[in-house]
Amino acid sequence: MPVLRYVAAKFAQALFVVWGAYTVTFALLYVLPYDAVDVLFDPSQGDLLTAGDKHDARVYYGLDRSLFGQYAHRLGAAIHGDFGRSTRTGQDAWSMIVGTLPQTALLAVTALVLAVLLAAVVALVAAYTQRRWLAEFFATLPAAGVSVPVFLVGLAVLQVFSFRLGWFPPIGNDGPATLVLPAVTLAIPVAAPIARLLLENLDSGLHAGYVTVSLAKGATRLWVLVREVLRNAALPALTIAGVTFGNLLAGAVIVETVFSRSGLGRLTQTAVRTQDVAVVQGAVVLAALVFVIVNLVVDLIYPLLDPRLRTRLNTRSPA
Amino acid sequence: MHKRRSHHRFGALAAALLAAAVLAGCAAPARQVAATGDDTATPVAGGTLRFGVLDAPANLDPHSGSSYPESLITSNVTDKLIYQNPKTGALEPWLAKSWEYNDTLTQFTFHLRDDVTFSDGTKFTADSVKENFDLLGRGDKALGVVPVTAYWVGYRNTDVLDPLTVRVSFDRPSAGFPQALSLYFSGIVGHSTLLLPKEQRSLAQNVVGTGPFTLGEHVYQQKTVLKKRPGYHWAPASLKHNGEAYLDTVEIDVIPEAGVRTGALRAGTVDAILDVNNTDEAPLSAQGYRIVPQLIPGRDISLDLKTDRFPTDDAAVRQAVRLGWSRDALVKTVLTSSYKVSTSVVSQRVPGYVDFSADLREDQGRAEQLLEADGWHKGSDGIRVKDGRRLQLDLLGIDNLVNNKPAYQLIQQDLRKIGIDLQLNVLPIPDYTAASTQQGRWNIQVANQSRADIAVLEQMYSPQYGNIAKLTPGTPVADEAIAKLSALSRTLDPGLRAKAAEEAQRFLLDEQVLTVPVYNPAQVTAVSPKVHNVGYEAQSRNVFYDTWIDPR
Repeated sequence: MPVLRYVAAKFAQALFVVWGAYTVTFALLYVLPYDAVDVLFDPSQGDLLTAGDKHDARVYYGLDRSLFGQYAHRLGAAIHGDFGRSTRTGQDAWSMIVGTLPQTALLAVTALVLAVLLAAVVALVAAYTQRRWLAEFFATLPAAGVSVPVFLVGLAVLQVFSFRLGWFPPIGNDGPATLVLPAVTLAIPVAAPIARLLLENLDSGLHAGYVTVSLAKGATRLWVLVREVLRNAALPALTIAGVTFGNLLAGAVIVETVFSRSGLGRLTQTAVRTQDVAVVQGAVVLAALVFVIVNLVVDLIYPLLDPRLRTRLNTRSPA
Repeated sequence: MHKRRSHHRFGALAAALLAAAVLAGCAAPARQVAATGDDTATPVAGGTLRFGVLDAPANLDPHSGSSYPESLITSNVTDKLIYQNPKTGALEPWLAKSWEYNDTLTQFTFHLRDDVTFSDGTKFTADSVKENFDLLGRGDKALGVVPVTAYWVGYRNTDVLDPLTVRVSFDRPSAGFPQALSLYFSGIVGHSTLLLPKEQRSLAQNVVGTGPFTLGEHVYQQKTVLKKRPGYHWAPASLKHNGEAYLDTVEIDVIPEAGVRTGALRAGTVDAILDVNNTDEAPLSAQGYRIVPQLIPGRDISLDLKTDRFPTDDAAVRQAVRLGWSRDALVKTVLTSSYKVSTSVVSQRVPGYVDFSADLREDQGRAEQLLEADGWHKGSDGIRVKDGRRLQLDLLGIDNLVNNKPAYQLIQQDLRKIGIDLQLNVLPIPDYTAASTQQGRWNIQVANQSRADIAVLEQMYSPQYGNIAKLTPGTPVADEAIAKLSALSRTLDPGLRAKAAEEAQRFLLDEQVLTVPVYNPAQVTAVSPKVHNVGYEAQSRNVFYDTWIDPR
């Protein structure tokens, strides 16, 4: 069954990516010119700890084993979902990550929905309007969206809607009211690349032969735009799902910091900053997992949407 | 009406303030609003205080959590044997009713209160003290606990003489020990906590203390809730009241962004904030918020000069670093009135402090003379050269305090004028920690050390302990350092200790110029007018025991 082989190959690829992510993080964290034991202690204590104390700590954290020994041991445990305990908080690293995941997922999904709506509106208006200045104005919005720092957008909306108007709480993640401003802030940079891609495709679509034919047959510009051009233009947007996902995660780090939300982005950022190895590794593996799952789904859906790929798969089947 | 207009102005200025925050200090000096009415008004029990902090508390183990918010929390949850009065610096009874020591300062005997219980209902006894001290002094390999070496050097053991008396022994004189017992590190925790391995001791639900608050809900990077401990009645006598704390709960909210912290205070989302930006002090106080600063006692932010590396091994270079920059400019452009420029290596709040401001003055002419006489001549780029080697100093600092970077940049500019190239490496705490272990890489290391006892100097500078100036053991200078600094540990006689303290400061600042102090850091809290008595303990950690809030 070629279809089964296609699916199996995609799965194998996905597994390889996750393993690779784990291994590369491990290598990076352990080739750092720092001794992991040193960063466990208060800077003012650092010079005062005896070599014996440091050795004890090294043994306690299993850092006295050979590098490969540590790798094999940690990988073995990680496969069973045990990434060890955070050196900062003492909590189980994987539960910390899984615990913050819903907050970030909720933020990301809300932002993504807003972003898609925003992108569709911007692209459609820019493509539909016959007024040149309006089209140009809307066409520049995506560029503006990526170039304004998320940080600044966050502080600006806080200043207006939270501190001045008092409509939304400025900090925390308790309840829907606290979600609005962060989601809007995050949606802006995420919407930008989607809008740009959509707009390009709408533009080239509107100049395609089949549109001219449709228009000649008496279809309105809006009908063509929505029923024919948008459908074709939407397909490539699916392929940038991965990029969008990256944007969401990167944006979440900043948005969670500005709006004082606990979440995966901020957790990861802090873990990297404090060299909390267990949490960093867990977060990288989780990111890789989500990334490959998104791509896997896209890869598996693609043949269903694109007849050409379906044919290619079928022709390879034995007669 | 007026309020609305000022809000509007701030809305418009939001972006500009952001940029200005980096520049710091162009604002008018903060108006010190006196804590009016605080001492006379009658406290009201009840209510929740919401308190915004910058950094997320992670490790809640009182014996090892050392970041500011961590020690702030554990200071409110645990009690110590001895209380250090933040105003006078005097040591007062707390869980220990009284104590005495032998002449050689190697044995300390403590008589304990017999009415104290832990939050899990168990009784506080001499065994509790022994258990805590053994772990602090020796660590425990199996539990992954390292000793709190800095304060427990030479710890031998603790003997339980009777259920309410313990005797602690050292293998060398330890005059700083009683004060060390008042530090947040020395908080007494319960038996069940001490049995746990290192990681589990840091979890909120596992921390058992005898303090006026207990730990409630803790969401990492979001909030930590402190709850009033019913039946608490063993507060130090010099606090404003005895009995239970006034507040029902304290919610510590983590707000990483300075602008959001200030905004949340103005919007009433939180009642008080810590880590107030310099530029926010004046506007907040103008709007009626009280700015409550407290200088951090201990070693000031100080340029520690390493003697094991070129060119800070040269005494003339060290002299030039002391003389070559303007402390007046620092006061005018970087510090607010909450902070103080250094007048010695230790804060004026440390008993034994001596004013060395006459020696810590700018004299660029003298600095240049010293360098010229020593063979340092200016090269084509304005930087001095001797025997073909440039006068470049590598500085390692921490960016954990808002004034650090601007202060070092100012020093950098001034020193450049006399031909010294100061290279700044100002890093976040973990990077700083890691970088500080690179031996022979840095000429200058800068950090402060909060401890309101002159023994802090021995801890940091003695070649036997921290040896941060990297004196070569066995040399006359190193021997002199050991002699002068260990004198601080050999006496608790006020007169003798003051003399030893003066000699130690003179040795570090004048005779050898092993350090060039910069400024005395402070904790700055901004408080809504309805909140009263937000105070600090001696090491400048906020204590909420006397705090009360107007009924809503």
